[in-house]
Amino acid sequence: MLIFTLRRLSLFTFTMLLLTILSFSLSFLFPGDSVINLSGEVNATAAQLVELNLEYKTDQNIVIQYFSYLSHVLTGDLGLSMASQSLITHEIAILLPATVELSLVALLIAMFFGIPLGFFAAIRHNKRSDNIILSVAMIGYSIPVFWLGLLAILLFSINLGWLPSAGKISLLFEIESITGIQFFDILLSDSPYKWQAFRDASAHILLPACVVAIAPATIFIRLSRTSMIEVLQTNYIKAAKAKGLSFKQIIIRHAIRNSLIKIIRHVGLQFANLVTIAMVTEVIFSWPGIGRWLIESISQRDYTAIQNGLLLLSCFIFIVHILIDFIYAALNPLARDN
Amino acid sequence: MAREKIYLEEVFPSPFMQHWLIFRKTPVAMIGFACFIFLTILAVFTPVLAPYSPIDGNINMLLLPPAWHDDGNVSFLLGTDELGRDMLSRLMYGSSLTFGLSFVIVIVSLVIGVVIGSLSALTTGIKSSFLNHFLDVILSIPSLLLAIIIVAIIGPSVSNTVGAIILVLIPQFVHVTRYAVKEEFRKDYVLASKLDGASSFRILYYSIFPNIVDRIMSQATLAQSAAILDIATLGFLGLGAQIPLPEWGAILANGLDLFYIAPWTVYLPGLSILFAVVSTNLVGEGIRHALKLRKES
Repeated sequence: MLIFTLRRLSLFTFTMLLLTILSFSLSFLFPGDSVINLSGEVNATAAQLVELNLEYKTDQNIVIQYFSYLSHVLTGDLGLSMASQSLITHEIAILLPATVELSLVALLIAMFFGIPLGFFAAIRHNKRSDNIILSVAMIGYSIPVFWLGLLAILLFSINLGWLPSAGKISLLFEIESITGIQFFDILLSDSPYKWQAFRDASAHILLPACVVAIAPATIFIRLSRTSMIEVLQTNYIKAAKAKGLSFKQIIIRHAIRNSLIKIIRHVGLQFANLVTIAMVTEVIFSWPGIGRWLIESISQRDYTAIQNGLLLLSCFIFIVHILIDFIYAALNPLARDN
Repeated sequence: MAREKIYLEEVFPSPFMQHWLIFRKTPVAMIGFACFIFLTILAVFTPVLAPYSPIDGNINMLLLPPAWHDDGNVSFLLGTDELGRDMLSRLMYGSSLTFGLSFVIVIVSLVIGVVIGSLSALTTGIKSSFLNHFLDVILSIPSLLLAIIIVAIIGPSVSNTVGAIILVLIPQFVHVTRYAVKEEFRKDYVLASKLDGASSFRILYYSIFPNIVDRIMSQATLAQSAAILDIATLGFLGLGAQIPLPEWGAILANGLDLFYIAPWTVYLPGLSILFAVVSTNLVGEGIRHALKLRKES
């Protein structure tokens, strides 16, 4: 386990190094002065510029410049957004939790529907229900997510009027941001309309989360189906059958546990995928998350925001990735060796 | 009666032909393949086939519904958009942008990826370990996110989108090729030709490539469905094809404002993307199914 941890840590530092170098070199690749790109001070006076140049050590060679940038990043100073002139760390601290919230709810929905369906398909391998589930799964991951989102809005928000189509919560509710994750904030707040707010927030998140969940759910179906089929062909299942265990016992006690372990590994990979899908979905559902912010920054040519937003987002995805690797290793002793 | 075969000769089809013979027997895969060919022909011959220009509007025919609608007009089969541009022509031209470009993207990144992958499979030691780690990092970032990042750096346009997606897809091909080549290298027939004195490149070219072509093709279909979705998504977000290019995602984004008045401007491009991706995936499933059958037999 120690070697495993060390390996992951070295991979982590290596990746972080690559990411910061990339982010640093972006300030030179983008048009304009690199110091302004790094700090986002578009309206700086001449005196301020001199100070900034000193701060980022632009008169010295590129390696020292990189390290001064690195120290800025490590102390949490990511500069100002060129468009809004507010601190990027501050903006991201509000926006990232919203994306995480959406992705997590979507992940739960995807796992809740995808994994059992996949198991069911595997148990009925090569029968009609298996084929139907597989074909539906194939259409599910072929649908472009933005189109699906639009169709969902048209059907559920406009034609049926069941669910709201935009935003995180109705503007009527005033919820103080404590953790950033809205559901926790609502539960922590002492507003008398707490439960109404909670219901409203759930109604708002349901539609975008379902849209985000479709593609990962179909991937979970396929993953859990293949891993279940593999497990069902192993010798210990045959041994269990020979011992006279009933089919139900075999599935619940042995097969599900062993196949779940293989799926957990892919949850990490899927999370990155999920965040990307969530970024596109945020644009359609006007969800105040980091994806919408990033895409707006791209069209506004807000270089500081693009550069540091990407840095933080990829850091975040990578950390989640490594965390899930650890969970997997903790659950599955076989994985620790390699 | 003439005897066609005098000697009882056993025919050994090449691995690729064997694969095709199995692939041919799955009807669903063949339907997908037919749709794939149809889209390819459409992408190439659209300038000859399309009834109208995709960019010039007809001011008298604004927001015409499709022909099966009561207000429709047969000469504009799928209706027109808010500038009077024929939807059918725009979608046909869009096939050469969305589908055709994705095809080009896959070919280019396949060639680069296979070359790098097979070269890296021959290397060992620290270079190979570095590459492995590097690929792990790149592969853990989803292709769309990486494409958005690259487009954010070099600026939104079609050619930049193409470049970004090519770059994004290369690591996947490198990974698949590297893995497949390494696996084949361990087999006895490679050892046999090594003992005959063949150089590594000769082994690669004559012994290994014919045997891994199907795995690379299977990866290529995966890459293509991802490429179609990525091009369309970037077009939809305004980071890819710019107005007035008839890229499917861009057409969809364009119809967004008129969604409630003219829903066909949103339904039809979405359906085209779905059709293209499903037929690509069907071909891919067929290839993977054939691979599995061949392994079992």
